[in-house]
Amino acid sequence: MLAALGLAACGSSSSTKTITEKGAASSSSSSSSGGSSVGGATTLIGAGSTLVAPLLQEWASAYDTAYMVAITYGPIGSGGGITQITGRTVNFGASDAPLTSAEATACKGCLEIPWALAATSVAYNVKGAPNNLKFTGTVLADMFTGKITTWNAPQIKALNPGVSLPDTKIVPIHRTDGSGDTYAFTNYLSHVDPAFKSSIGAATTVDWPGGLGAKGNSGVGGALQSTNGGIAYIAIAYVLQNKFDYALVQNAAGKYPVPGPTSIAAAANAVTTIPAGGTAGISLVDPPASAAGAYPISTFTYVIVPKTGSSAAVAAGMKKFIGWAITTGQVGVQKLDFAPLPAAVVAADKKTIQLIQ
Amino acid sequence: MSTASATPPRRRLADAQVKLSDRIGEPAFRILCGLAALIAVALIIWIIETVFDKASPAISHFGLNFLATKTWNPVTNNYGAAALIYGTFVSSLLALILATPLAILIAIFLTELAPQFIRRPIQILVELMAAIPSVILGLWGIIILGPFMEQHLEPFLHSFLSWIPLFSGSYSPLGMLPAALILTFMALPIITSITREVFQTADPALKEGAYALGATRWEMVRMTVLPISRPGIVGAVILGLGRALGEAIAVTQVIGNVSQIKASLFQPAGTMASWIANGYQSANPGLGQSSLIYLAAILLVVSVLVNLGARLIIRRTGMR
Repeated sequence: MLAALGLAACGSSSSTKTITEKGAASSSSSSSSGGSSVGGATTLIGAGSTLVAPLLQEWASAYDTAYMVAITYGPIGSGGGITQITGRTVNFGASDAPLTSAEATACKGCLEIPWALAATSVAYNVKGAPNNLKFTGTVLADMFTGKITTWNAPQIKALNPGVSLPDTKIVPIHRTDGSGDTYAFTNYLSHVDPAFKSSIGAATTVDWPGGLGAKGNSGVGGALQSTNGGIAYIAIAYVLQNKFDYALVQNAAGKYPVPGPTSIAAAANAVTTIPAGGTAGISLVDPPASAAGAYPISTFTYVIVPKTGSSAAVAAGMKKFIGWAITTGQVGVQKLDFAPLPAAVVAADKKTIQLIQ
Repeated sequence: MSTASATPPRRRLADAQVKLSDRIGEPAFRILCGLAALIAVALIIWIIETVFDKASPAISHFGLNFLATKTWNPVTNNYGAAALIYGTFVSSLLALILATPLAILIAIFLTELAPQFIRRPIQILVELMAAIPSVILGLWGIIILGPFMEQHLEPFLHSFLSWIPLFSGSYSPLGMLPAALILTFMALPIITSITREVFQTADPALKEGAYALGATRWEMVRMTVLPISRPGIVGAVILGLGRALGEAIAVTQVIGNVSQIKASLFQPAGTMASWIANGYQSANPGLGQSSLIYLAAILLVVSVLVNLGARLIIRRTGMR
């Protein structure tokens, strides 16, 4: 019965099935309260990142089929997820940005556990311009702060020799709600452009000079679609789904990798130190030149759970769900344009999960 | 005899019942009504108290500088409402400037000019406009109105009026002008239906008097209906203003959501209500959230003042 459910949940691949069964076996032995439908919580409620939402949707249906635990997730934006878990109105928050020190203090003993790996891409809508224009971080920073105002500016032309560009005005489009995409993008721009760092900075919401603001990836997508000359940072999956033109962004090695699971994984593999204890994030943006194939605006996305204070059932349920997500849940994430977590991160995560009480 | 002797006791019993139910029912009814009124009053006080209580950290931190600061910077935790207050008033006033004459013309048409059989359908349709959920109006704004403005209306305005800074600069499907137009559509049914009702109360004897003196239809309207109805129209406009000031969702969808003051109406802006709707879920804990509620407090005070002002104007013009 269980095997049949596992098979139904994880598709046709037989290797997936065995992993599911292993996962089920190990977690049922670790939870002392016995059968999963009796002991642990039967519903877990979370909210936050819109970037991770498509992945969580997959996870929720697979997990429900395998363990009869319903995962309810509200994609309200990373900032919202942090606020919700700080208020303890949900069982877990999800954010693409690590907690700031003020947020960590307010959250009172929250663990942040990287559980998925994705990227923020730069999409644009310019009539008369081809797909996959090339940009550097500093040029993007100048476009978003209004220093470069037209699409045929010499700085853009220099990066795209031989490409004819219209004199359309650049309209930078940003998220108005607290967003992990905003964090990843501003964090990247702050890394490569000191002027951007001092004038704007990196956070889930920042004070953009001008441009257009819209709520959520869908709001930004809508604004981009209707704005000739628009440029926006949007989760990669959303860009590919909507067939927007997207930019190739130069990495530290001087290369222009296509954003996608391969280049994201290359960025993640360049990470050498992984903070333990679930109290700090791992910055993936602007990886060193040694990672030649790395996409420069890659980002970990985190699940945020209270270390203590949850009911025993919820704590056990969360431990099991996160444990499943970082192992079984990583199989096949490429089809949603995520990259699987590197082994070192999974190992660190497993230790962090044990801190949940 | 038997019936006669049977009736009085029954009547007496009935009297006693009425008296009993009177004795309990009357005060109970009074208490019930009083309670209902009390709940309404308590709710308003509670809401006002909550808003000011939650806003107090930001009020004590920024003081009145909040009203004069343009930036809204979550990174440095420095917040100010100036651009949003500006956006709120410009979009609402623009909406009223467009909606009021339109509403008065429609009301004149409905009460004085239209053939009887189409008055009712038109009136119902105009009132139905108020029933369109604002989020749908906003969607229409994104899909139809915004692109139309960018491609046709804004270039048209620009070609004739570019010497006025209001119509300068580049075109955009999202900005102050589309927001003002959406607010116009929202305020129009309210102003129209109240104005129409006010027109209907105009004394027929006066109208006939005007006609008897040889007035044309327009002269009759101008000399009798409009002057009598002025306080009513002002009240209707102020109610429309209340609707426009507080609208959050539809404005968010079309205004572009940037805290900036630009002379050009084509450029994106933000309003207090739309800013709150956009940012509350993810505002920085502490000062960030408190500053958003400070915005709410300003909006609340403005709305109350607008309402009181309307009452004052209506009373003064009404006495004349």
